[in-house]
Amino acid sequence: MIIKTAWKNVWRNKVRSFVVIASVTVGVFSAVFSVAVMNGMIAQRVNAALDEEISHIQVSAKGFSLNQDPDLVISDAAAVEKVISGIPGIAGHVRRTIVSGMAGTATKSAGVEISGINPEEEKTIFSLDKKIITGTGSFFDGDSRPDLALIGQDLARDLNIIRYSVDSLVLGKLREENVPAPVLEKLNTLSGERFANEKKFTRRVKTLLSARETARYGHIIKEAAWSFREGSRFTLTFLDRNEVQVGARFRITGIYDTKNSMFESTQVFVRAADLRKYTGMSESDCHKIIMRLDDSDMTVQTTESLAKALPGLDVTNWKKLQPDLALMTDYVHQIYGILFAIILAALAFGIVNTMLMVVLERTRELGMLTAIGMNKRKVFSMIMLESVFLSLTGGAAGMLAGWIAILLTARNGINFVKYAEGLEAFGYSAHLYPEISFSFFIMATILIIITGILSSVYPAFKALKLNPVEAIRTE
Amino acid sequence: MKILELKDVHKIYNSSEIKVHAVDGVTLSFNEGEFAAIVGPSGSGKTTLLNLIGGLDMPSSGEIIIDGTNLATLKSSQLIDFRMRNIGFVFQAYNLIPVLTAKENVEFIMTLQKWSREERDKRTFELLKAVGLGDRASSRPSKLSGGQQQRVAVARALASRPKFVLADEPTANLDSRSAATLLEIMEKLNHEEKITFIFSTHDPRVMKMAHRVITLEDGQVVSDDVKEA
Repeated sequence: MIIKTAWKNVWRNKVRSFVVIASVTVGVFSAVFSVAVMNGMIAQRVNAALDEEISHIQVSAKGFSLNQDPDLVISDAAAVEKVISGIPGIAGHVRRTIVSGMAGTATKSAGVEISGINPEEEKTIFSLDKKIITGTGSFFDGDSRPDLALIGQDLARDLNIIRYSVDSLVLGKLREENVPAPVLEKLNTLSGERFANEKKFTRRVKTLLSARETARYGHIIKEAAWSFREGSRFTLTFLDRNEVQVGARFRITGIYDTKNSMFESTQVFVRAADLRKYTGMSESDCHKIIMRLDDSDMTVQTTESLAKALPGLDVTNWKKLQPDLALMTDYVHQIYGILFAIILAALAFGIVNTMLMVVLERTRELGMLTAIGMNKRKVFSMIMLESVFLSLTGGAAGMLAGWIAILLTARNGINFVKYAEGLEAFGYSAHLYPEISFSFFIMATILIIITGILSSVYPAFKALKLNPVEAIRTE
Repeated sequence: MKILELKDVHKIYNSSEIKVHAVDGVTLSFNEGEFAAIVGPSGSGKTTLLNLIGGLDMPSSGEIIIDGTNLATLKSSQLIDFRMRNIGFVFQAYNLIPVLTAKENVEFIMTLQKWSREERDKRTFELLKAVGLGDRASSRPSKLSGGQQQRVAVARALASRPKFVLADEPTANLDSRSAATLLEIMEKLNHEEKITFIFSTHDPRVMKMAHRVITLEDGQVVSDDVKEA
């Protein structure tokens, strides 16, 4: 009866209850959706780091990770691989030969890390082969020529390997991206012109478009207008095992796009055999063995097992290699909880205010209930339940709205194209896919109920302090 | 059988420098099945006396004993429970819960006492029928007239089979016809079910129907007349 009465009491003053419920709905919706966007952003970043960049665990010679001395090799890689095969939970592993060096063209140069890989093995634990930009080549597929290199889009830009031009094909692409006709007309005046680098192209585009058009469509235009001449070459220089500088011309076999500017501008991949040829390393040696696990949650345990099994080597996992990501994944739920709690705390003031009004308006009724024998615990429960119903109704509506919004946006993602450069500079994709776990909704529901209970405490105490004789006399 | 006893009860309100003797040395007793009216001019202490008898307020001195229990010996929580089980209240302004139906208002106190659904339904039906509202069980108070609401309040007061019912000016807000109907119902319940009713009233119709009329002036009992049957 108390529950039924409390629920009916919520709807006594429909307008007031709707206002409170609406404010809770909006607050909870905002919290749920922003958490889903952040969660999706972090999940994408972590997945990209594991799938494309570092995987779960890396083994290297002691000291190699500090100074990348090419002489610090895993000298009997096959024996180490045998030990690795005996550790449960490892889905696959690859060897890499790694040297630091310079990449250069006639006009530009950049510091890079060159990884010698076995392309077929790489495909078993990394997904970089799926990140090759269409029309730029492939992941070493079907090309047995020596000295091929795979580079990132940003490095290609930095080395002026990418050219910019606007032709009918580019205008067609922009039309598909919903760039308005007046902007396309202005860009059409660039037909026939070629730009050697991004800076020159951007400067020219800015002379044609307004500041607003540049801010809104600049990134899309740059993405559509660049082109790459297949078979372009560039020079890689690095130290061999004897610390003698060597250099060689490499032909670009493909350009990858990982949405991580730092990775793209520093990581060059060549076949391991080509790198061994120039560094003088033996086939049994490598600098790193990189492992993929069946279950990411087993990272720490597997790292410990490997460290025990390979005492002469450095065993590092992704949490040590990218501590920022580890911090985010380890504490993200606490951060979401705090964010949600702050929003609910703000909403709680509105609920407290409403419940104080309720107690004030129902003074006589509450006095009557005490007079006829409703004890303090039950009066408190009734006020508390009303507050919980108010917050929970708004909370449920907010969570439902948030869930629908996530479903609607998760399929095609949300494109923060205006902020693409900034996001990609930190390794985050500008195309975000919101996602949220069911456990978040459970946590949210618990927090909403706690908010309802806490919001009712002060008004309920006010109700308990009522003197029934005076309360019944109240007009 | 004596069910209520007041022994030299005083109630003094301290208002700044003035002491107000709202009830001044009242000694009374009530037997089971009485139909008594407490009358007197405004400010004579009728409502205060009713509040003291009902355990809503505590006397400054003296004893109030209900069915052998001295109210002063009960803790606050015990007093609330005691009221629920032993005393029925009818208020001048009906004081029904507006969001509940007539049936729900009547069974509210039975729910607090954890009666079973069958017991509640049976008792509620009996009482609503007794007050002539058997067909309005599902109506909310806003759909009932003042007289009907007060009849629901009487049914609610009787729901938990209290030792006695205290009614503070029950007919004050009713037209004469509704007041007459209400009084007839209460007298019938008093007669048939031997329920004790104690009223405070100004209403001459109530005084006329009461079997015992206690007159208060300045907080003191100035007369206590029992009518012959």
